[in-house]
Amino acid sequence: MFYVELLLVGLVWGCTYAMMALGLTLVYGLLRILHVAQATVFTLGAYVGLLVANHTGSLALAFVAAALAAGALGPLIYRLIYQPILDKPPFVALVASIGVLIAMEDGFRLMFGPSGLSFADNTWFTTTYSLAGMVLNLVQVWIVAAAVLLLSAFAVFAARTRAGVAWRATVSDPQMAESFGVGVIGVRYLNFLIASLLAGVAGVLVGLLNNLVEPGMGGVISYKGLAIIVLGGLGNVPGTLVASLLLGVVESYGSVFLDRVMDRDAIAFLFLIIVLMVRPQGLLGKAH
Amino acid sequence: MDYYLSVATFGALNVILALGLNLISGFCGQVSLGHAAFYGLGAYAAALCSVAGLPFPVAVVAGMLVAGIFGIVVGIAALRVREDFLAIVTMGVGFLFLGVVRKQQWLGAEMGIAKIPSPLDKWGYALLAIGAAVALVLLSLHVRRSWMGRAFGAVAQDEDAARSIGIDVAGYKIAAFFIGTAAAGLAGGIYAHMTQIIVPDAFNFIQSITILAMVVIGGIGSTLGVVAGAVLLTLMPEMFRFINDYKLLVYGTLLLAVMRFSPEGVAGLVRRLARTAQARGGRRPA
Amino acid sequence: MSVTFRSKLFIASALAVALAAPAAAQNIKIGFHAPLTGFAASDGKSALQGAELAVEQINAAGGVNGRKLELVVQDDQAKPEQALPLANKYIGDGLKIVVSGSYSGPTRAAAGVFHKAQIPYISAYAIHPDITRAGNYVFRTSFMGEVQGRAAAKLIGDNLKKKKVTLLTLNNDFGQALSAGFKEVAGKFGVQIVSEYTYAMGDRQFGSIVASVKKDDPEVLYVSGYFFNGGPLVAQLRAGGVSAQIVGTEGFDTHNFISIAKEAAEGVMITTSLDRDSKLPPMRKFIEEYETKFKVPADMVAASTHTAISVAAEALGKAGANDGAKIRAAIAGIKDFQVATGRISFNELGEIYKAAQIQVIKGGKFRYFATIDDPVLLAPPTK
Repeated sequence: MFYVELLLVGLVWGCTYAMMALGLTLVYGLLRILHVAQATVFTLGAYVGLLVANHTGSLALAFVAAALAAGALGPLIYRLIYQPILDKPPFVALVASIGVLIAMEDGFRLMFGPSGLSFADNTWFTTTYSLAGMVLNLVQVWIVAAAVLLLSAFAVFAARTRAGVAWRATVSDPQMAESFGVGVIGVRYLNFLIASLLAGVAGVLVGLLNNLVEPGMGGVISYKGLAIIVLGGLGNVPGTLVASLLLGVVESYGSVFLDRVMDRDAIAFLFLIIVLMVRPQGLLGKAH
Repeated sequence: MDYYLSVATFGALNVILALGLNLISGFCGQVSLGHAAFYGLGAYAAALCSVAGLPFPVAVVAGMLVAGIFGIVVGIAALRVREDFLAIVTMGVGFLFLGVVRKQQWLGAEMGIAKIPSPLDKWGYALLAIGAAVALVLLSLHVRRSWMGRAFGAVAQDEDAARSIGIDVAGYKIAAFFIGTAAAGLAGGIYAHMTQIIVPDAFNFIQSITILAMVVIGGIGSTLGVVAGAVLLTLMPEMFRFINDYKLLVYGTLLLAVMRFSPEGVAGLVRRLARTAQARGGRRPA
Repeated sequence: MSVTFRSKLFIASALAVALAAPAAAQNIKIGFHAPLTGFAASDGKSALQGAELAVEQINAAGGVNGRKLELVVQDDQAKPEQALPLANKYIGDGLKIVVSGSYSGPTRAAAGVFHKAQIPYISAYAIHPDITRAGNYVFRTSFMGEVQGRAAAKLIGDNLKKKKVTLLTLNNDFGQALSAGFKEVAGKFGVQIVSEYTYAMGDRQFGSIVASVKKDDPEVLYVSGYFFNGGPLVAQLRAGGVSAQIVGTEGFDTHNFISIAKEAAEGVMITTSLDRDSKLPPMRKFIEEYETKFKVPADMVAASTHTAISVAAEALGKAGANDGAKIRAAIAGIKDFQVATGRISFNELGEIYKAAQIQVIKGGKFRYFATIDDPVLLAPPTK
């Protein structure tokens, strides 16, 4: 039972990774940018969600507001920061992105205080369901549900809609897509929009799960997100999803059984390094 | 006076760290996001030696060697994975180093190593650090002009092309990692003896990013630019002490602004200004 | 609220710069460094508020020998490499006493510098055992981690009469020191450690720890950590169906802990320095005036820095403000001094003995549960 519970814990956490990592892999797939500043979008979503929830008492409104704020910030970061430096070496965008993260983390601290904020009324956290001795709360259930719903919606969008087809065409060959009349610029904005919506929603969910929204909450999950998209094979969407769940589970078991040797972050990255030494192109990536 | 000495010493250590990384990332084109791990390896190895009673020079050299040997290991890994994959692997090396050190009782775990003997006075550390930094500047300038520097450049530009004209790509990558990480180890050894305490958190991911920031703000690949970047970022927190509260905000914004408006860093800015001045000068009738 | 506080602080420091020249003749300057930015900024803010309140109270009561106190505040970001230049700057500026409102790394690094320069240096709440061993100019006004861990072992074995304990240890100097102290004396109180799990500063998700605790089924959980990771941990333990008694540490000693863990915080006990229900006048005055001034309840970090500044002022009053050696001797000679954290005396290493307060959370507030006053068990090391 203990082992099953650890598996469950790992899968739930893997779902939050998936919501962050999908956006990172979309951005990477199209623009070859390691979008660390996604953590800022995540944190903004969490703060907006918390403030709205505490003022109106409505979680539904909180999610809508968080998605709107996050959905605005992501494309804005692209327009103001990434777009003018797209032709520079990749580390330029990476360092700029890290700059955004550091500055905004401090900005959140100045605006909302260093100690973080908590939800006044977090019924999702206290509503629990038990199943054969294992307990899940409603936030965890929603994390899994949100991950499955949003990711399936994305899959349907990519496979069935006109915009989705244009998006896939652009990712696989931007020049060819452009010659067929696809608006590459529009696809880029769409990419950042999708990534940011997911991150914003994930931010509120993680805020609820910790009952704490704090300036630095996006950092670790964003670095892990980078590890995940590399693990999955950079720019590879199914690989990213598999890697997210896998990393969640590896951390869950590892943090119990390797506790004396190394900490949780080290376990995640050790796993990454081992996989890459065996398969340099990532789990589902294609060889060069 | 003591204040200026300690700032100068940390400035020199930062120059050593940044030049080491510049050798790996700037000259040889292998982006590393885990340079602080080698700084830490040097510090821990040197501290252990000193606490065990070995003389100071032995301890510092041991720190260099330990960092350099682990650097070779990462260099070998860099033969397997490339570019962005390598960047994330080196970031992982940083997290792995920290996550393992945190749990090792024989390394003091989170308490770190305290009571490290301090054989020099403030002037001693300052002169040693500045001397080492100057030596590394000269080495960097020399490497750049040497055959090795050209080979590094070829590897950085196009690995496959370099291999096809008979350059030993693997050998040069490993050499770059060895020299760069051994330099970080040297800085670590001096740091450990000067502060007399080392704790794992001093060598975290933010520290790696800070070193990378020195390199890119100075101008990746340019030795003198990187020196300027390291000095600038050392002095910045000191200059900003009066705006304590907004320090990280300003720091992050600066990183962003340099990348957004002058991606070649200070070196690029100087070059551009020089070119403009020249062009203006040229237009003037003689 | 925090924005206005900060802008006030900004204006205040700008004014302080503007007025520095004429004021310098009368004011006694006390150096004070804390992590005002970076990951530890939350504790840095509490520390600064505790120190500011102490200075304000002392100045309102007429200052020290008729002169007003003035804090010279610096941010160390909780980094050792920031603390060294900063320490040298204080020395270069001619300050004669400095208080650390920071963590172990920067405090230990600066301690050696101050000792060499013969400037008395008081660590308010950093817990690394080697801080005071840097030399006899260095003092500490809080518990050492090990000592607090021993108090928890006695609480569980003697007061609560429980046996089976699981340790959930935060992986930093604070958590590891507490666990070490706990393990050292657990056997003496009949306490048996069934398992130990650790977690990192940045962890907020503890599903695998919760599952493991359910498997081990202990009577008591001894949890080290701070409010920002301990709060989510305690909430997740309770939500996961763990009902064992939870004993925490002074890292939980802030209202933030309760607002994160909410109902899950009920019944949690902590070992700390601050007794909310104390009748001791300096403690009452601190608790009430802190809440009035900053509109948040007082916490352990604020109380410890308040204590450190009070100690500094007391010594400056006795020894004058010009001679580091005399000030040092005055601090070392402090006996049974009443401060915000109780009654304190320094031993030959510069550590204090004081009774440990056990507080329990009831009705969303910290309340008195017991005092552990055992001079042998809680004796700090003397060398």
